[in-house]
This record gives sequence, structure tokens and C-alpha cells, in this order.
Amino acid sequence: MKTKAILVDITKCIGCGNCEQACKEAHGLPMASEPVLSATALTVVEPRGEKFVRRMCMHCQEPACASACPVGALKKTAAGPVVYDAGKCMGCRYCMLACPFQVPRYEWTKLAPYVKKCDMCAGRLTKGGLPACVQACPTGASLFGDRDDLLAEAQKRILENSAYVRHIYGSEEVGGTSVFFLSDVPFEKLGFAAVPTKRPMPTLTANALGDVPTVVLVGSSLLAGLYWITERRKQVALAEAKERSSTSRMDEERS
Amino acid sequence: MTHLRFPKITLWRVLVALIFAAGLYATYARFLVGFAASTNLSDSVPWGLWVGLGTLCGVGLSAGGFAVAAAAYILGFDRYRPVVRAAVLISFLGYLTVVVGMLYELGLPWRIWHPILMWNRSSVLFEVSWCVMLYTAVLTLEFSPALFEKIPWKRAREWYLRWHHAILIELVLIGVVLSSLHQSFLGGLYLITEGKLDPLWYSPYIPSLFYLSAIPAGLALTIMALYLSARSLNARFDLSILSEISRLMAPLLGVYALFRGVDLVTHGALPYMLRWRSETGLFWLEMALFVIIPLALLSSEQVRNNPQWLYWTCALVVMGFVANRLNVSVTGLQASAGVHYVPKWTEMASTIAIIAAAVLAFRYAVLYLNIFPQPKQSWMMKAASD
Repeated sequence: MKTKAILVDITKCIGCGNCEQACKEAHGLPMASEPVLSATALTVVEPRGEKFVRRMCMHCQEPACASACPVGALKKTAAGPVVYDAGKCMGCRYCMLACPFQVPRYEWTKLAPYVKKCDMCAGRLTKGGLPACVQACPTGASLFGDRDDLLAEAQKRILENSAYVRHIYGSEEVGGTSVFFLSDVPFEKLGFAAVPTKRPMPTLTANALGDVPTVVLVGSSLLAGLYWITERRKQVALAEAKERSSTSRMDEERS
Repeated sequence: MTHLRFPKITLWRVLVALIFAAGLYATYARFLVGFAASTNLSDSVPWGLWVGLGTLCGVGLSAGGFAVAAAAYILGFDRYRPVVRAAVLISFLGYLTVVVGMLYELGLPWRIWHPILMWNRSSVLFEVSWCVMLYTAVLTLEFSPALFEKIPWKRAREWYLRWHHAILIELVLIGVVLSSLHQSFLGGLYLITEGKLDPLWYSPYIPSLFYLSAIPAGLALTIMALYLSARSLNARFDLSILSEISRLMAPLLGVYALFRGVDLVTHGALPYMLRWRSETGLFWLEMALFVIIPLALLSSEQVRNNPQWLYWTCALVVMGFVANRLNVSVTGLQASAGVHYVPKWTEMASTIAIIAAAVLAFRYAVLYLNIFPQPKQSWMMKAASD
């Protein structure tokens, strides 16, 4: 299966909120509409001036959350979605600190709290279905398809219509995501995260982690060497002291 | 007839009782009501005081054990031997506070063992949890003779002490490697916060900065605990050891200051150092407490040779270190989070209660175990004469 993606064309969104409702229904969450992402709202449509901007997990190609999670509860699947295995999670919340888009939410009010985020309806996808939000969109503002096809489609729309900002948000941010946005208003004015890098986030830690074997090898041999020198110096000092005392005893005997 | 006497009420006892009462309530709030009731954490501030103070400072300030043990056993600073056991005890208790604090911190604390079976080699936190786990085991072994030498059965006791003596150097060596790894990787946790953490603290070299700052801070806390043991717990050892350890601190702080300064300048944080904002103020507070004032004080012979002066200098270093770790974990992330986080009193109360328990444990260990060289039969003398 080719890797899938979602394309959100902000120029086509009318803010009806059908996607929010469909998402809540598909995930068994309370139906009341919420203004921002929460543990019970995995996608929301935020009004920004005249525009409506949908927020959700960006499903990065190389996700920071998945690299950060100490127990591997978060994983990028070949099909595209970044999925969460609640059975592994121990609730450290490092994924929340790591995410460059500040997406994962936590069930702060529960005694056994879990991380909550959009899973691109991974379960429905395996049965050949569409993500609930895309299926519910009445204007085609949200599209679902092969990642390459959607990128080509987005490219085509930008080339054909000069009203679009000449950038597909998500095409290169943090090494690329599986959710793309098209807009006719600059992205920074719509509250999109100005992510710091075009490199995948995990590269930030990969170098440090790669140093581990070197640190262990060089460090322990260095320490062992230092210990050997210390011991050797002690032995030499001891031998010298013995020699000195024996020569002084011989001197005494001679006198 | 025996009279049950009610313990005398002193200011300290009242204080300790209050700390534990507050800690007990905070524990109830955390485990029976939940995060929302016991913390001010939120989706924008997923890590707060428990991580900043409990974990980052807990581990960092416990670096004294590996540093003193390495100095005494590997670098041949024989003069440190009388205080090695105390330094190891401080670290051991420090790591225990971190592990207990982790139970508060984790959302699903009964799964704290998950990293043992569920691996993610690309996670810095995975490496940290393994190192902390292994190093806590190393510290337990390093400290164990203080308990095993109290076993009444002579043969078992001597067998254990002989075995321990045989593996001691290896233990110290493994301890240094593990400490070096996770002390720096605690900083490495923040490598992935590029773009979120303020430029005054974000650096690709943050692992090295964490490592270089942990060693003098750990030594400072060790000096403080040693001084208090001599003053209040009747520990008998040569106080000049303290000034000897402090002689190491000035160069270590100097190296850190140099590294930090070069790092700030090279990655272009210079303009942020002079901007009028709360982050910059807290940055200079941290620098003054951790580096500037202690370096000035430690350069004076008089301060180094006066245990009381030394104690207060070390207190500044510890406070500066705490400021640094809280700046990285809280202050530096405030602007990007867009939420002003002030810890709830229950977050404070549980952390303080855990620290107080460790302080009490240290006190009882010094009173009832042979932590310091004993006047008559000294374990140190025995070890040294082998």
C-alpha cells in the first residue's frame, strides 16, 4: 500500500464543523464542539479572520514523538498514520514536549490518563475506508489519497491559481508530513507553527545517541588507564619506601 | 515501670511534621484525585516542577557520588577516602528520590518498568531510564557494605565484604560511565525542543552543558552535607577535606563558564543576554548564583579554608544549579507554550516531602551506620591497608 495523506485546502473550507463531529463520532468522544484541540477533540476548525483553519496531527514522515517515546508507543506506519499504542504508554508525556506542532493532548482529569491525538482513522483505512473527517467534508476542502498524488494535486492548484500562497505547508516542514495545507493567506497569519527546521526532528537527537558506544568504549578505557597509572604509582612509591627503609637499616647495622 | 515519654517538641520536629503532612495530602491528591487536582500542568506545559526539580535537579545534584568515588579510587586522591561512603550515600538517596518522584510524575506509574521490555533505541528518554536504572543498582551495590557489615553472621558478612572489595573498582568505573551518559542525556532530552526552548538555554551542546554543570553542583551538595554531618551529627573526619574538594570546584565551574560563554556567543544568543525580559533576568540570576559569585568567593583562600564560608558558597552553587535546571525545563519554554506556569502548592509539597525523607534517611544512616570513619575500628583503614 502506498503511503496516504490528507490535503486541506483552506480556501474551500466553510467552517461547517462536520469534520469535528464525524471525528468525535468515529472515536467515541463527547459530541460538544470545542474551540481548541483537547483530549476529547482530535481535530477542530478554528476561525482565523475570514478563514477557517483545521487543526490536527500532521502525521510527520519522521515524527519527533515517535523518536522521543521511550517505550515505542508512538509509531509511523507505512500507510501514513502516526499511531499510538495505549498498552505501551507509561504517561511520561515526552511526546508532548517533543512535538513541533504541539498536537498531543493528555487526559489530565483521569486517574489512568492516556495521550490523545488524531490517528488518521488508521482502523478505518485498513478496511479500505476514508478518514471520518474527510468523508464528512461537504466542500472537498479535505481530501484523502496517496501522498504523492496529493502533493501533485496541491502543486497543480498553486500553479493554476495565483491566489494561493506559493507553499504547500507540510511538504518540507520537519522533513515533510502526511497532512498538507493550501492557503490564500500567509500561513504565519493563520497560526501555523513556524517550525525551526526542514530536517526531520529525530536527527536532532540521533547524533547524540550515536555517540553512546564511543563514550562507553573511550570512557571506560580512559578510566581503566588512569586506574592503572594510579596503582602503578602507588606500587612504585611503596617499593621505593621499602628500599629506603632497608638501606637505612643497613646503614644502621654498619655503623 | 517504664514511662512512655512523649517526644520533645522542637521547631525542627514541627517543621518536619508539617512537611510530611503536606506531602501526604499532595500524595492523596495526585494518586486518588489526579493530575488536574494536584498540578498546574496542562497540554501546553506537560512537564513542570516534578521534572525540573525532582528529576533534573535530583539526578544532577547526586553527581557527587560518582565524582568523589572516581577521584578516590581511580585518580588516586586517597585523601578523599574517609568521605567516599558519605558521598555515595548522598547520591544513592538522591537517586531514590528521583525514582519515587518518577512515580508521581508518570501518568501510569505502575508501568514504570515498561522501558525494560519495550525498547526504543532512538529515544533519549529510553537511554536515560536505562542508565538511571542501572546506576541506581550500582549505587545500591556501592553502598551495600554499610548495611552488610551489620550482619551478625561473621562468615556471611566477611564473604560479602570480600566479594564487594573484589568488584569495587569495576563498580566505580561502570558508575562513572553510566553517570556520564545520563547526566548529559538529561540535557539531551531538550535537543528536540529546538524552536521552543529559549536561545539562552537551547544549544546543540546542551548534553555537554548538563554534564559539565552536574559535577561541580554534585560536589557542592556533597560538601554541604559533609559540613552539616560534622556540625550536627558528630561525624568525625578532617574538615580540611572540604577545602580540598572545593579546590576542584573552581576549575570545574570555570570550565563550565567558558564552555557556556563560547556556546552562547557562537550560536548567536548574545542579543538575548541583554534584552529586557523576564527570561534574561532569570538567566543572569542563574549565572550569578552558579558561576559568577561562587568563582569570586572560591578564588579567596580564606573562603576555601573556612568550612562555614565554604558551606554558604556551595549553597549558592546548588541554588544556581537549581535555577539553571528550572530555567531549561520551565522558564525557557514559557514563551513558546504561551501559558504562564506556576506550580501548584501540591507539586511543591510532594517534592519537598520526598527530599525531606531523603534528608532524614541520611541523618539516621549517619547516626546508626558507619558512614564516617569510626574512632576505633575504621572500615576505611581496613580498606586502605589491604
